[in-house]
Amino acid sequence: MSKELSAALEEQELRVTRRYFLGRGAGVGIGALALGNLMQEARANALISMAPKAKRVIFLTQSGGPSQIELFDPKPGLRKLAGQKLPDSVRGGQKLTGMTAGQPQLIMPSHTAFLRLGQSGAPVGEWLPHIAGITDEVCFIKSMVTDQINHAPAMTKFLTGHQLPGRPSIGSWFSYGLGSVNRDLPDFLVLISKMMRGSDQPLYDNYWGSGFLPSAYQGVKLRNAKAPVLYLKDPDGLPRHLRRGMLDGLGELNAMRLSRTGDPEIETRIQQYEMAYRMQSSVPDLTNVSDEPESVFQLYGPDSRRPGSYAANCILARRLAERGVRFIQLFHPDWDHHSRLKSWCTARCRDTDQPSAALIKDLKQRGMLDDTLVIWGGEFGRGVAGQGKWDSPDGGRDHHPRCFTIWMAGGGIRPGLTYGATDDFSYNVAENPVHVRDLHATVMSLMGIDHSSFTYRFQGLDFRLTGVEKARVIHEVIA
Amino acid sequence: MQVPASSGGIDFNRDIRPILSDNCFSCHGFDKSSRKAGLRLDDREGATADLGEGVFAIVAGKPEASALLHRIRSTDPDEVMPPPESHKKALTNTQAELLEQWIAEGARWGAHWSFIKPVKAQIPDGHTHPVDHFIQEKLQAEPLKPAPPAAPHTLTLRLAFDLTGLSPSPADYGVPHTELIERYLDSPHYGERMAMWWLDGARYSDTDGYQADSTRTNWPWRDWVIDSFNGNQPFDQFTIEQFAGDLLPDATPEQKLATCFHRNHMTNGEGGRDPEQSRVDYVLDRVNTMGTVWLGLTLGCTQCHDHKFDPISQADYYSLTAYFNSIAEDGRAGGNAGPYLKYRSPYAEPAVMEATELLRQSETEQKKLKAQIQPAFEGWLARQKEAVRDGFEPWVPLAPVNLQTAEGSVLSAGDDHIVSAAPNPPHQDDYTLTLKTPPLDRITGLQLEVFPHPSHTGARYSHSEDGEFMLTNVKVKVRKAGDTLVRDIALSSAAADVNGEGRYSKNSNVSGTLDDDPRTGWTARKVESGGVHRAVFEFAEPLILAPGEELDVTLMQRSLDPGRLIGRFRLSATNQRGSAVRSLGPMPMAQLHETVARGENVSDSLQARLFDQYLEDDETWQQASERHEQVKRQLSESKKAAGELNVMVLAEREEPRKTHILLRGEWDKHGASVQGGVLPAVLDLPSGEVTTRLELARWMVSPDNPLTARVIVNQVWQLLFGAGLVRTPSDFGLQGESPTHPQLLDWLAVEFMESGWDVKHLVRTIVTSETYRQDSAISPEALKLDPENRLLARGARFRLASWMLRDAKLAASGLLNPAIGGPPVYPWQPPGIWQDQFMGRFTYRPTLGKGQNRRTIYAFWRRTSAPTFLFDNSMRRTCEVVARRTNTPLQALTLLNDTTALEAARCLADLAVAAHPDNATTQVSFLCKRILGRIPADDELPVFLREHRRALQFYVQQPDEAVGLTQAGQLAPATEALAAQTASAMLIANLIFNLDEAITHE
Repeated sequence: MSKELSAALEEQELRVTRRYFLGRGAGVGIGALALGNLMQEARANALISMAPKAKRVIFLTQSGGPSQIELFDPKPGLRKLAGQKLPDSVRGGQKLTGMTAGQPQLIMPSHTAFLRLGQSGAPVGEWLPHIAGITDEVCFIKSMVTDQINHAPAMTKFLTGHQLPGRPSIGSWFSYGLGSVNRDLPDFLVLISKMMRGSDQPLYDNYWGSGFLPSAYQGVKLRNAKAPVLYLKDPDGLPRHLRRGMLDGLGELNAMRLSRTGDPEIETRIQQYEMAYRMQSSVPDLTNVSDEPESVFQLYGPDSRRPGSYAANCILARRLAERGVRFIQLFHPDWDHHSRLKSWCTARCRDTDQPSAALIKDLKQRGMLDDTLVIWGGEFGRGVAGQGKWDSPDGGRDHHPRCFTIWMAGGGIRPGLTYGATDDFSYNVAENPVHVRDLHATVMSLMGIDHSSFTYRFQGLDFRLTGVEKARVIHEVIA
Repeated sequence: MQVPASSGGIDFNRDIRPILSDNCFSCHGFDKSSRKAGLRLDDREGATADLGEGVFAIVAGKPEASALLHRIRSTDPDEVMPPPESHKKALTNTQAELLEQWIAEGARWGAHWSFIKPVKAQIPDGHTHPVDHFIQEKLQAEPLKPAPPAAPHTLTLRLAFDLTGLSPSPADYGVPHTELIERYLDSPHYGERMAMWWLDGARYSDTDGYQADSTRTNWPWRDWVIDSFNGNQPFDQFTIEQFAGDLLPDATPEQKLATCFHRNHMTNGEGGRDPEQSRVDYVLDRVNTMGTVWLGLTLGCTQCHDHKFDPISQADYYSLTAYFNSIAEDGRAGGNAGPYLKYRSPYAEPAVMEATELLRQSETEQKKLKAQIQPAFEGWLARQKEAVRDGFEPWVPLAPVNLQTAEGSVLSAGDDHIVSAAPNPPHQDDYTLTLKTPPLDRITGLQLEVFPHPSHTGARYSHSEDGEFMLTNVKVKVRKAGDTLVRDIALSSAAADVNGEGRYSKNSNVSGTLDDDPRTGWTARKVESGGVHRAVFEFAEPLILAPGEELDVTLMQRSLDPGRLIGRFRLSATNQRGSAVRSLGPMPMAQLHETVARGENVSDSLQARLFDQYLEDDETWQQASERHEQVKRQLSESKKAAGELNVMVLAEREEPRKTHILLRGEWDKHGASVQGGVLPAVLDLPSGEVTTRLELARWMVSPDNPLTARVIVNQVWQLLFGAGLVRTPSDFGLQGESPTHPQLLDWLAVEFMESGWDVKHLVRTIVTSETYRQDSAISPEALKLDPENRLLARGARFRLASWMLRDAKLAASGLLNPAIGGPPVYPWQPPGIWQDQFMGRFTYRPTLGKGQNRRTIYAFWRRTSAPTFLFDNSMRRTCEVVARRTNTPLQALTLLNDTTALEAARCLADLAVAAHPDNATTQVSFLCKRILGRIPADDELPVFLREHRRALQFYVQQPDEAVGLTQAGQLAPATEALAAQTASAMLIANLIFNLDEAITHE
């Protein structure tokens, strides 16, 4: 943390703390929650070192590793090399997963033709025609790099900066650092597509966990169920007015306890019960989309009428953004296409293509795209070699960490740009590598935070999202 | 080892080391690889060495000659230390002055306090309780005075929670506390309480974690821990058995069982992973866990490099791994995670007996229910006979009113409602049909007929190259005109007359049409018969279409092979349930029609089929039947648990593995090879002396080991005070906090060892002190001077662990099943938790019967989905000994609405109403007494009565709502006569359970 910044931060925290304790001494305690809020405000004020371009993030997480070769990174030259062995010089000793280690690495060219529908000329695979239609709003990063080759460690790295569970997720960092605008909803909400197919990669809750940060900053999963938040629903036979009365009584009795014991924690508790009560109406209000006009469902596509679908979650994401929620994270599973790539991958494309594009258009129409950063991407890419028979429809692709493509839009991102490039095999990054930690640094920068100064002390060490190795803000992608 | 510098003004450990550690050691510390300018400041030799050109960082006694002071005071950005790019702050004047004074006084180093063997300080008068002596000694220099003792009922609660993790029984109030302490220490619940502490540190779980997250059966080890605490096994022995029970002479099965401690790590069976990488992970996890639990050291830091702060090298670290590197394991997970101990649990039988009894009850219940239903069935049958006399149409063809395709197939429907597709189909397509609502009272399923046709290729089923079709998914939705949302209609089963063979292994069974996977589906390929083929799809719930609602059916045909789109087909519907929509055989009702038409009697077998179908529609029967299935499952699971189990334990392989330093901590980057050896900075023993795990364990609990006793005493203190004497219980190293009361910590540590590592003695020593007994109220002055209660001038106040809150509800309401040990149970969780997370691979089924009310320590722990009713608990993924305590709205919702909370409130309400019928005041007092151990104060009572009145007014008007509220969990609803009173008392009990007082260690 820079000297001035950390001094400013400590100064602010100190002032707040002093106010708090002085207040208590004078018998007008402001309470621990209020203290927490003030501290958070102080933290945010100290953290934001440059004008934030984005106020919130919608992270469209595509879990499993979408294939950049079919979707974003055309390599027409591969047609001539189809079925040939991948040169060792390209592979450069890259480790393989246990699934393909020991098998010949034979080149499988892309299954798709590419569309170039925008002014920018950015290519998008034909399986994503709607996304192909918004390329002028989008910035593609084709040179993403990670260092993990299996799902759980790679996703953990992608979201927490470290491959082992235990670090805070990126949304938790923002929730902790910047706090919320909406006092009726958590700052960090998670939506998971409801799938019929059993997924081979469960979505672990540490993907949105707060790690060593206090658990108040963990992502809250909105479920597609009668109670979208666990335990949200009061039991049958308990009407709202009785719950209200009961909580009034609880508040009064707790306030008496506060005056008897002087424990400021009680005041926080009173307020958290009130927040719980407000969530009992704010969350159903959020998930009840019956006030959305028909045109919205048409925009997001037929699947958006089906609660729990990725498309329906995209509508919820926009509603959350409207309500000022800081970090909104969608997960769409099942991008792990080791076999029958064509039929399998197209199915996931159909789930996500129209709604992802619709979200961008919708935010733009509402004037919200400027300060909402949308990120689309998964934990790694897929390899150029065919897994299984390269020349049969049976063929798929194995995991590939050395290059993959993500796209971002809005929130200060330069639209219509393509950044970075891969070699002729979409195997290695040829120019402008962007490591996962560089992405994190860039996202923080868009939110107005210098990643190197945003630290949290745990077990005697100062941790940051971007870790100990040098991370670079990719200024080139920022408008 | 250097002597501690404590004489004179400056104390190195207290005043100087923290400054150096925070600001300098990351570049000038123990870690060679990151050391800058060849300077190290963590020992005297390095700090006073000649750095060349006559520069010395420190010259003892000569501040002016010490470059260190110049550099920290410099304002030149190129000169100043720490340098700006380190993002560390400049030192304050006070810090610089301290350093100057220290150098002037001779720059005396001292070993870090925790690496020096503890000694007992003298207690001058022999009468003061040792704990109080040290606490009060420190307080004398402070403006705060010790608080008076807590109210007797508060202290009773405090002792009950601290020593048993439960709320007190009503009989405990009023018992002298000295007597109560002994009662609680003797209670079997003491062992459970202590075990919960130990299980969190041990990262104990009932599943592997990671992707597969398979179930393991290590719970006998959990019971071993409970037994050990209850039997007050000396802690040194407890340690030795967990490290090396298998290496003890004539090891008993229980001693071998103990070593499961070091197998409680996660295991990873992910497909693409090298098992050797996993095995290395497990070895490192054991060393890290040992570091945290016993030594209070962050050994994980030394996996990749020498420790930046503590005198532990990477080689030291890997020397420790050598003790765990030759376990007869190969890194696999699931059922291949040996070595195993074959073990039968002595605690498994009660669950079998319980389940057997439940099954007996359930069978009786079923018989009774069937007998009750029989007359109604017979009446129904008589009516059906009439209804089908003139004919029965099993499937009613559905008329399409709209035909849509996603990719351009051209569909047309004929008068017979058969839909046909034009030739030249696209590669893949989805057909979506909007269907005219049939004249049926309800729809229970659909039939799809696929017709051959001469115009198709080879006169088979499609216009594709070979005339075959491939149906990959079927979706049913209901759409209401004017409403934007659609309703998904869930399909619960699919059956077909034939299942062909697709080109790919999964393309065969009609059940594949129910998932979202385009790789699975239904085909008639390779089926000789060229006739009509049929598939039926059962709705999970019968569908009754409201006026204006329309049925949409989508046939997704997303095969890889081009054009395999059904050429001719028809959809029909039925209102029959059960086998009628689950199989292709004749429907029972169709058979009935034939029987009646032939004028025959209904055969027994047909009667039985019809009865089964009738029962499908009986809600009560369905519930009972579902419950019955669960009881049967519970019985078979408990029987399995009572048999021989595989418990993961330690055992050496025959051929020891070589141990290497792993470069950058990477599993396959071998550096220099190392032998087993202990940490010289902690307690140096020649490497030849500690060659086995057993010797490592003895080293750990050697009376000369400066860390173990302190670290354990500190954790026990944390259990009782909410925070340790060292506030960083997992870090006793240089970056950890110093003890608030060093002499007290040391006194207790030595006492602990001298008592023969007697844990109950340690607990008793602490809880008999006046310090422990103090009132926990916080005066404004105390809040200002000591907000974190580091001086302990008041009792400890903190929110109780979430598991205690659940257990206390069971105890206070009388629901608690106090059995000790046995296989895991499944307390209430909201439905769908596992199904959602694992997309249906696991289903959570709450335990039925008394097993539901077992203590939380027995709750099944799925590593990737910890119990939802707990919060702030250790996640049990890696070792954690730090208490987490947050205060969130989600916790409030859990405490308000969890089913166990409602059941407990209901049980207490029953007791209150029975004891004090129609008297709100005495009911409220009763409930307060039960939960808070006291009656309401004068200003509190009116609030309770107001809310009771509000509730009663409502429930008297709305008895159905009252009945509904009282039906919680497994409890039958209250009778209508008592419902309003019971529901009102239940609301008050729910309120009291949520009071800050009820959830706080006061």
